[in-house]
Amino acid sequence: MRIICVNTGDKFGQWYVDNLKYMIDNYSGLKYDNFEVITEEKHKGVFNKLQMFDKFRDGENLYFDLDICIYNKVPNLVREKLTVLKAWWRDRDHTSFNSSIISWTGDQSHIYNTFIKDPMMWQEKYNKGIDQMLEENFVIANYDKVCYSIKNNQYNEKDKDYSIVLFNQSQYLMEPGWSGWWSNYFLSR
Amino acid sequence: MSLKICSVYFEGKYTPEYVEKLYNGLKRHCSLPFEFICYSDNPNVKADVIIPLKHHSGIKKHWYKLCYFSPLFANQNPEDEIIIMDIDQIIVNNIDDMIGYPVTDNELVSYNKWWGGKPRLNGGFLKFKSGQLKVIWDDFMKDPETWQLKYFKKGIVHYKYYGEQNFIDWMCEFHNIKLTLMPPEWVCKITNDEEEDRQNNINYIKKFNKDYMILDKPHNDIKIVHFANPNADIHTSKYSWIKDYWI
Repeated sequence: MRIICVNTGDKFGQWYVDNLKYMIDNYSGLKYDNFEVITEEKHKGVFNKLQMFDKFRDGENLYFDLDICIYNKVPNLVREKLTVLKAWWRDRDHTSFNSSIISWTGDQSHIYNTFIKDPMMWQEKYNKGIDQMLEENFVIANYDKVCYSIKNNQYNEKDKDYSIVLFNQSQYLMEPGWSGWWSNYFLSR
Repeated sequence: MSLKICSVYFEGKYTPEYVEKLYNGLKRHCSLPFEFICYSDNPNVKADVIIPLKHHSGIKKHWYKLCYFSPLFANQNPEDEIIIMDIDQIIVNNIDDMIGYPVTDNELVSYNKWWGGKPRLNGGFLKFKSGQLKVIWDDFMKDPETWQLKYFKKGIVHYKYYGEQNFIDWMCEFHNIKLTLMPPEWVCKITNDEEEDRQNNINYIKKFNKDYMILDKPHNDIKIVHFANPNADIHTSKYSWIKDYWI
């Protein structure tokens, strides 16, 4: 099994990659063969995530965003069919998809091939990100409730029904100077 | 309970010496124990704690001050008292009464801007109990882009991304936060516009029945001088008394 993350642009940094690996190795219970990091900035912002479908065309793949906290053993997240999160914790807004966790087995390169035919068009049409693009143009399954969001939960204790919390628009809570229960699970800076 | 005096520094208008001299002034003129924190994009500022500020979060200029309203920031503990201070100020006399000014739950303590203008409070000094006013940060983060430009777009402030004081004032009104203003004669404003400064001197004398605001030195009742104008810098000021206090 291959674990994948993407670290392009200046939003994150090496600490975020090291931190993800640290949490996976120490808390998730996941056994994997390779930990892959995509760093090449070929496209605009989050569209760089799509490179994973081009680069990894075989075997089991499990992708994580860098702005998450893994604080316990995770449920089985590896899927045969291409699967992403459904953002059950918020109103639907422009999309119900959330691509903070993605899994598939085998070859899903058709997604990147579709995108690369006209990247400008896709990036312009889906300027809010790839989640809406994935939802509206490809056949993709959704996970059940396998994680939750820190949004509106930052002052609460950790939810023991889950093992992963997403920071999404609250990524600042992971930055130096900010702390909460999640800080105890992070790699020291 | 501990007292945290919190500041923000970002490269641009000021230099790290502003932080250092505020810190030195606090140490010189405050006998109460405190921890001085600076949220800074320059690691070479003088503070007890420096929190590295990264500029990719969509927050602009003085709006970073609002982070301190979150109890999750700056290693705050329940019951801590938090004071946010601007760095463009000179402490000129003992400020124990100001730093130790009592504050209760759901209350914000600030300067009394006797020289007029809106908003009612002054962002140069904001005191509250840790976490009590977290709604200010939470509401801001629901739509930071809109809030940061709102007061500029409405013509209430004349510089882009100014207006965080107006926002805090509005939050007090909207959420029924008690706003307490300290005795007005404790603070004065300098603008580096000689005519405006002269008028402020006259107003201070009249309002508070004092002999002067600043002559060869600030009046003994004044604790802090705030350079509260976008075009007023301490390091370019022509006033000779500054060299005796801004050290």
